[in-house]
Amino acid sequence: MAMQVGGTAELNSEINVTPMVDVMLVLLIIFMIVTPLLQSGVSVNLPRDTISPDEDADIAKDTSVVIAIPDNSNFYIGKEQYPLDALGDVIKRRMEGKTPEKRIVYIKSGVDVDYGRVVQAIETIRKQDIDKIGLVADKKKGGAGTNAPAKQ
Amino acid sequence: MAMSTGAGNQGAVPNINVTPLIDVLLVLLIIFMAITPLKPSRFEAKVPAEPKNQPQVNILPNPLTLVIAINKDTKQITLNNEPYGDVTDTDKLNQKLAETFKIRTDTGVFRENTNEIEKTVFIKSPKSVKYGDVVKVIDAAKAAGASPIGLQIDDLQD
Repeated sequence: MAMQVGGTAELNSEINVTPMVDVMLVLLIIFMIVTPLLQSGVSVNLPRDTISPDEDADIAKDTSVVIAIPDNSNFYIGKEQYPLDALGDVIKRRMEGKTPEKRIVYIKSGVDVDYGRVVQAIETIRKQDIDKIGLVADKKKGGAGTNAPAKQ
Repeated sequence: MAMSTGAGNQGAVPNINVTPLIDVLLVLLIIFMAITPLKPSRFEAKVPAEPKNQPQVNILPNPLTLVIAINKDTKQITLNNEPYGDVTDTDKLNQKLAETFKIRTDTGVFRENTNEIEKTVFIKSPKSVKYGDVVKVIDAAKAAGASPIGLQIDDLQD
């Protein structure tokens, strides 16, 4: 992109590229900060570098029920916090009308949460006649391209 | 991508080399693309039904059942009450499970009334163990080929 400046008598327009690059960098930084925040719900310290979880695109869907357990004190579904006894009703409501294969509740729990808290959530889920649980975890990166989820 | 200013040689004229800036931008973009998790993934697990109150004396334990238990104090793992490493070293467990499944596949040990090889594994952990450790054990079992994975949630130690 070389631009030649002509003689002083003519009009010349030199487009200064530096500000455009600055604007682009600022936009990139804004996107880097905003995108993780756009993901609804609370931030959970998920287990990372796991070898064998299966991909499941349903986790990110609005129709799925995802219980987030960021610490030992609260249960969240979406952005709302619920005490343990209210969880059952919320799950029941949101599971209405789901086909049997979709009757699964996902649990996003942090690595430092006591297993007992997760068990409390699972017990509540079981009371609603749901026997499939999806424990969300981040898969270790670096393998070849990931495939579709394997059916069990 | 050079920019040259023509006349006006009086003051110092900064010539900003834009190429490296674009390189930095591309590197940042690639780093960002590599770090963002794109597709969420999960371990699917089943929970056994609630035990009823009647005494179940006539249910025989299935000899094919595999139960992985975690000791809350020592963090050691046992498979059907035999020790196989601990939560930080799950290779022994993984190996033993893989061997067991291979033997079952070779000799054709099927689940009752189905054509699937019996590969059910149950995970039993006390309530005070950290969730991260339990996930490591589930990961090791799944990597060895366990399917389905059952979480025992009744009668757990504290």
